[in-house]
Amino acid sequence: MPDQSQDLSLLETLDHLLDRGVVIAGEAVISIGDVDLLYLGLNIVLANVDALIRTTERR
Amino acid sequence: MRAVVIGVHLRREDIEPVAEAIPLGELFLSGAAVADDQPLGDRDLVLRVAQMRASLLERATFIAIRYGFAVRSSEEAMAKCAPQIERWRRLLALHRDDVEMTLKVAVASTRPRPERQAFASGADYLRALHEATRAADVDPRFREAASRLGNCRWVHRDGRSLECVLLVARDGVERVRAAGEQLKRDFPEIPFLLSGPWPLEVFADDDHK
Repeated sequence: MPDQSQDLSLLETLDHLLDRGVVIAGEAVISIGDVDLLYLGLNIVLANVDALIRTTERR
Repeated sequence: MRAVVIGVHLRREDIEPVAEAIPLGELFLSGAAVADDQPLGDRDLVLRVAQMRASLLERATFIAIRYGFAVRSSEEAMAKCAPQIERWRRLLALHRDDVEMTLKVAVASTRPRPERQAFASGADYLRALHEATRAADVDPRFREAASRLGNCRWVHRDGRSLECVLLVARDGVERVRAAGEQLKRDFPEIPFLLSGPWPLEVFADDDHK
């Protein structure tokens, strides 16, 4: 079973990669409100992130 | 081929051989080479870029570029980034020895997320969504204690958490981690997560001034 702290570290790392830093105007990441369309796509690819969030909420 | 841009750096040697160095006037962009037909949402690519980002930060502080910006040449990078270069150069020179650390805190009070069907226009709904997010706050005693850890900016990310982003000298990271442990003892009822070090993310962003 994977270490939960490692999973959280990966989640945090991906969160910073996808949702932080300087946005270059006119580039591929499009935000509506606080939702990145690119991030929506990645939620599908990284399905285990959702599972991790649900697991964390149950604790 | 193109390169997914990871960050902005003062020196080429801070980038190579971890990533590709793309000249940008006096500065350099770090990039991960990507085939033209590879989607940027590819899981392996995202994980590879995340790993490169961490390795680059071990070498020197840089300004993080949000994932999704890709260029095919130095000329294209210059065309898209030229207005920012001087400001980036000043930031990098000023914060060469600094990193960010993030204290993500569960909010004490939230406003219910607005119902999309209750709004006639998308703009009104987005405005209400934004206001609901901004209404979230943490325990004022915790906010005060966290703010004392150093130069910080509070950032609303969603309706359930608030972030205290700290600008910390590289040799002060362990001090902040120890202070985080002390916060856990002082506020056992408040869930929070201290993470970092991270490159310049919030402190390089004009929107958070």
